[in-house]
Amino acid sequence: MSEGDRLHVVTADNISPARRMAGHLMIWGSLGVLALVALAQAAQTWGGSDFGFRNWRPTLYAYLLFSVCLCWAQVMLKGETGKRILFVLPAALFVVSLTVFPLLFGVLIALSDWNLSAPDGRKFNGMANIVQMWNDPFYWNALENMVWYCLAILPEYVLAFGLALMLNADIRARKFFRVAFLLPLMLSPVAVSWMIGKSMLVIQPAGPVIRLAKWLGYPNPSFFSDPLTAKITIMLMDAWTFVPFMMIMILAGLQAIPKELQEAARVDGATGWRAFWEVTFPLMLPVSITALLIRLIFKLKLADVIINVTSGGPGGATDSVTSFIFREYRDRSNVGYGTLLAMVYLVIIVLVMTVLMKFADKALRPRT
Amino acid sequence: MTTSAQLFRDGDTDLAFKARWWTSRVLLYGALILWAFVCLFPIYWTITTSFKAAKDVTQGTMVPWLDFQPKWLGWKSLGLSPETITQVSTVRDEFLRRFFNSAVISVSSSILAVALGSLAAYGLSRFSYRFLWMKNSDISFFFLSQLILPPVVLALPFLVLYKELDLLDNRIGLIALYTLSVLPIVIWIMRDQFEGIPTELEEAAMVDGLSIWGAFLTIILPIALPGMVAALILSLVLTWNEYFFAALLTSTYANTLPVMVASQTGSQGISWWSMAALSFAAILPLIVIGVALERYIIKGMASGAVK
Amino acid sequence: MKVGLYNYAVRAGLTRRGVLKGAASVGALSAMGGAANIAFTAPALAQDDLRAQILAIPGVGNGSPTDADYQKVGELCLGPTKANVAEGEFAGVELTFMGLNNQNLHNILFRGFLAPWEKYTGAKINWIDLAQADYNPRLQQAIATNTVDFDIVEMGAPFEGDTAGRGLLDEMPDWVKTQIQADDLVGYLQPPVGTWDGKSYRITIDGDCHTFSYRKDYFGEGSISGMKDAPTTWAQIAEYSKAVKGQKDPLTGNEAYGFLDPLKYQWGGFGFYFLGDRAAAYAKHPDDPAWLFDPDTMKPRVNNPAWVQAIQDVMDMVAAGVYPADQLNTDPNGTGFTQFLGGVGSSVCWWGDVGSNARTSDSSVVGDVVGFSINPGADKVYNSKTGAWEEKQNFAPNMAYLGWGIYVTSRVSGDEKKRKAAWSAAAHLGGKDISLWMAAYPSGFQPYRNSHFNYDEWAAAGYDKDFVADYLGSNADSYNHPNAAIEPRIPGIFQYYSVAEDELVKGINGQYGSAQETADAIAAAWEKITDQIGRENQVKLYKASLGL
Repeated sequence: MSEGDRLHVVTADNISPARRMAGHLMIWGSLGVLALVALAQAAQTWGGSDFGFRNWRPTLYAYLLFSVCLCWAQVMLKGETGKRILFVLPAALFVVSLTVFPLLFGVLIALSDWNLSAPDGRKFNGMANIVQMWNDPFYWNALENMVWYCLAILPEYVLAFGLALMLNADIRARKFFRVAFLLPLMLSPVAVSWMIGKSMLVIQPAGPVIRLAKWLGYPNPSFFSDPLTAKITIMLMDAWTFVPFMMIMILAGLQAIPKELQEAARVDGATGWRAFWEVTFPLMLPVSITALLIRLIFKLKLADVIINVTSGGPGGATDSVTSFIFREYRDRSNVGYGTLLAMVYLVIIVLVMTVLMKFADKALRPRT
Repeated sequence: MTTSAQLFRDGDTDLAFKARWWTSRVLLYGALILWAFVCLFPIYWTITTSFKAAKDVTQGTMVPWLDFQPKWLGWKSLGLSPETITQVSTVRDEFLRRFFNSAVISVSSSILAVALGSLAAYGLSRFSYRFLWMKNSDISFFFLSQLILPPVVLALPFLVLYKELDLLDNRIGLIALYTLSVLPIVIWIMRDQFEGIPTELEEAAMVDGLSIWGAFLTIILPIALPGMVAALILSLVLTWNEYFFAALLTSTYANTLPVMVASQTGSQGISWWSMAALSFAAILPLIVIGVALERYIIKGMASGAVK
Repeated sequence: MKVGLYNYAVRAGLTRRGVLKGAASVGALSAMGGAANIAFTAPALAQDDLRAQILAIPGVGNGSPTDADYQKVGELCLGPTKANVAEGEFAGVELTFMGLNNQNLHNILFRGFLAPWEKYTGAKINWIDLAQADYNPRLQQAIATNTVDFDIVEMGAPFEGDTAGRGLLDEMPDWVKTQIQADDLVGYLQPPVGTWDGKSYRITIDGDCHTFSYRKDYFGEGSISGMKDAPTTWAQIAEYSKAVKGQKDPLTGNEAYGFLDPLKYQWGGFGFYFLGDRAAAYAKHPDDPAWLFDPDTMKPRVNNPAWVQAIQDVMDMVAAGVYPADQLNTDPNGTGFTQFLGGVGSSVCWWGDVGSNARTSDSSVVGDVVGFSINPGADKVYNSKTGAWEEKQNFAPNMAYLGWGIYVTSRVSGDEKKRKAAWSAAAHLGGKDISLWMAAYPSGFQPYRNSHFNYDEWAAAGYDKDFVADYLGSNADSYNHPNAAIEPRIPGIFQYYSVAEDELVKGINGQYGSAQETADAIAAAWEKITDQIGRENQVKLYKASLGL
């Protein structure tokens, strides 16, 4: 158990059989209570017997009791080792309890023909949704858009790095600039979509960005009419919100670089670009990768702005997968198919993220 | 780089260099000011729009008093203008209730997430676990994968689950869900934090007789505090602004501000002034937090990641 | 047009007298004076004072009404409630009300109206406010997952198939019918609308149809369009839109534009009505009540030559470049409010809110130059039975959405006190006098009662009489049009609309080869939905909704 721990602790626990007994009793006892309550409720729901339950809350409470007992029993049973498990167990129990049922039920829905308006309700239809997805060009189109949206992270990263370097330079009013650069991250996407996406970019002829573009010499500026422009505009709006996020991570990294390292580089005669490439950038690699990966995860969920500003238009050019599913789900109540699309997307993301993280781990290991 | 430029200033005073130094300064400040403008203008636009009448909106006027006369229109519709503040206003009551809900839900879920997440992150950064086939990296990924889940996957299952648990339209239900959604990012940030703290600290403390939890609580947590604040703020931002689940799972008692902002639109057009007033009122708390706690965010974020 | 209106007004007056007779026998109502608006014969009654009094709150030209105004109006209109409910009768009752929160109207308005009602009756109302786009999914989810958590719901007639069809609504008690004076409703809102299987469920608070709003300063001698009168057919609209291209708007001095189509039709299903405006003229044959589906097979008609012609008209206008820049990203909100009321573009088909808002809303700059008529027609109409075009002028106003109503859900059916409270709250909102105020001020609701078409009352509120006659006239003409295009109340109708919007937008953006291909894609998607929901059932309900 403890080989490979970063923190080496000598543990010499003497656990008496009585304590061990009590520990086991707690786990199995509370599990028993949980099982009993759950069974009773199931019996009431499906079996017709009446125990006077009004909802499934009792099962929830039983689960909470079980969780507490399970955590406690770890210490009883395993002593010091148990205390270590105690760090991770609460979070794990919490996550499991909130995801297992929804995911299982989600799989069931994904394999069903379920239009909320259909009077017959949910009908299992096996693989039919998958076939439909395979032949749905607009889902593939949304996936392709996602690739472009994700690629936009790279320029965002360059911009974020540049901003971080500027903030890390010897400047006046640093506090002001730092706060100003950080603010876009704080704004609600719904508010951003309306106040920027609509008010500044769409309203003719009053939108300030429109007038700026006119002043710059574009006769009839419109940001969402042409597929390419629309896509780029969405990218820019999304970047506006999230560049500060990468920026603060990089800035935090820059500030953590020991001053001696830079001094040393300078003594060696490295200036400007060379100092950056040879000293700063390699040092920033780990934090950059973390920032990029987290950014990627947020990007994969991109939807709010698209839903509010373009609804995926013109002609699906700005659709992200989430916004596409959202329309299928919200506007057409086509829950079965929509959930399947989301599940497939989830599988794709998990695969891509696994590969990327393994790759990132490898890239970082020699350095650490 | 400008820092390196400074180093040479003492020795070398020829004109060409001075000119280069000035150019770089001008460029640097130019870029800073330009980006600050890009960041701040939309906020300025939101504030001014909340004081505009229809005519000013359609003409896109920019500067108050100079090219339009500010009016309390937007704030009046929220019942927050000087003239309406003393009168009864159902919109204001509604706004305040939602504001309060948003605050309670986002603060509780963020604190819960930071508490649970810090513990888990500390454990993962210090010990090797093995649960069935899962090792540390797998467990980390398990936590992280929750962040990846597209919300639409969970929408209907959660609706059914919460109905059965009587958690619909309930703050606790929303708090649990939000905690789940920000937990991964907290764990990620905090793991980097703890990995940056040398283990010798705990080892020394434990030699002095502290238990592992004692060492964690008295030695490690204070050091990791900036990171926790950063994680907390990020969680606050994400939960305060969440829209999708709030719209889905709440109706009367537990509804939050973003839902109210979104519902400003519909078949009767958009009153930009009230939209702007509401948007601004909704982002104001986070702006205040940003200004007040900005130091911690940068100090705390990834300070352990550079070695 | 004016003759028709006159007849209309006379009929309205007769109905009102009929109501009065009925009310007298009940006794309580006439004691309250609740029904006594006989403006044509005896203009001096106290009730007229009340109507005049509420219309003066806050008065046209004094900006949008505020919450305090709503409460004042609600207080003044409590009469009918007081006749049926004792003070404090509902103490301890809590009700949940689900409705929209569009732009701080709808539910916010109801809150204000009901605040005095709550104070009087002692009941408490909790509110569920929804964005318009969230409305349909929220309702469908509540139904499908059995989580109906509201007692009173603001709902459109198209959803009656989803709710009443599944027994989720409570039947209206007779005393409510009397209190709201249901026979004052305009003709097309009388049963079968609002009923299901012969039972009434709906308190109407809105009447819906699209009308044609245009800028009078674009037409006439020497105007920039070069046309003497406002256009009356879609062909003329295309023609004038091209003519004004490149000229200056006489009001704002900005670019002039013609007709405004919301080229980003995606609006949660509500955007499809705007194609319907164009298509109805070609597709709604006077001898055939159906125009969306074949009533025997539910085979979509949306890809027949009539609909294709409507789509083609839009595509032609896009190709001619006569829209404002970025029109492809403009939804109906944009065309109606941001653009038309904001002074961009010169004509639009919209619900009548554009009319009442033109004069009273803070967001309008076109109040003085706006004119109204029924939706444009076409020079030919397609006959689905013969499968051929007929060369004759055809008008078919689009009764889009049939208006909002207040319904009570079956959640309260078991509890008589709660049931009465719910219906009393609903009836308060559907009252005759309060409705006049809603029709006259920005509320999100249109005139829907015969008694709304008394122009003198409007003039007293500060409206210009000609303007009102024009605005109300276009509504009345549409409501009473013999060839009005009425939509089906079948389950999932908004799914059909919503998918059509998506495909339509793809077509307009050139993802399909032609108008025909776009229409075929819509038809294919509709067939899929019909199969999913159940064809047999849909056929049955569609026929029922058409009165076949």
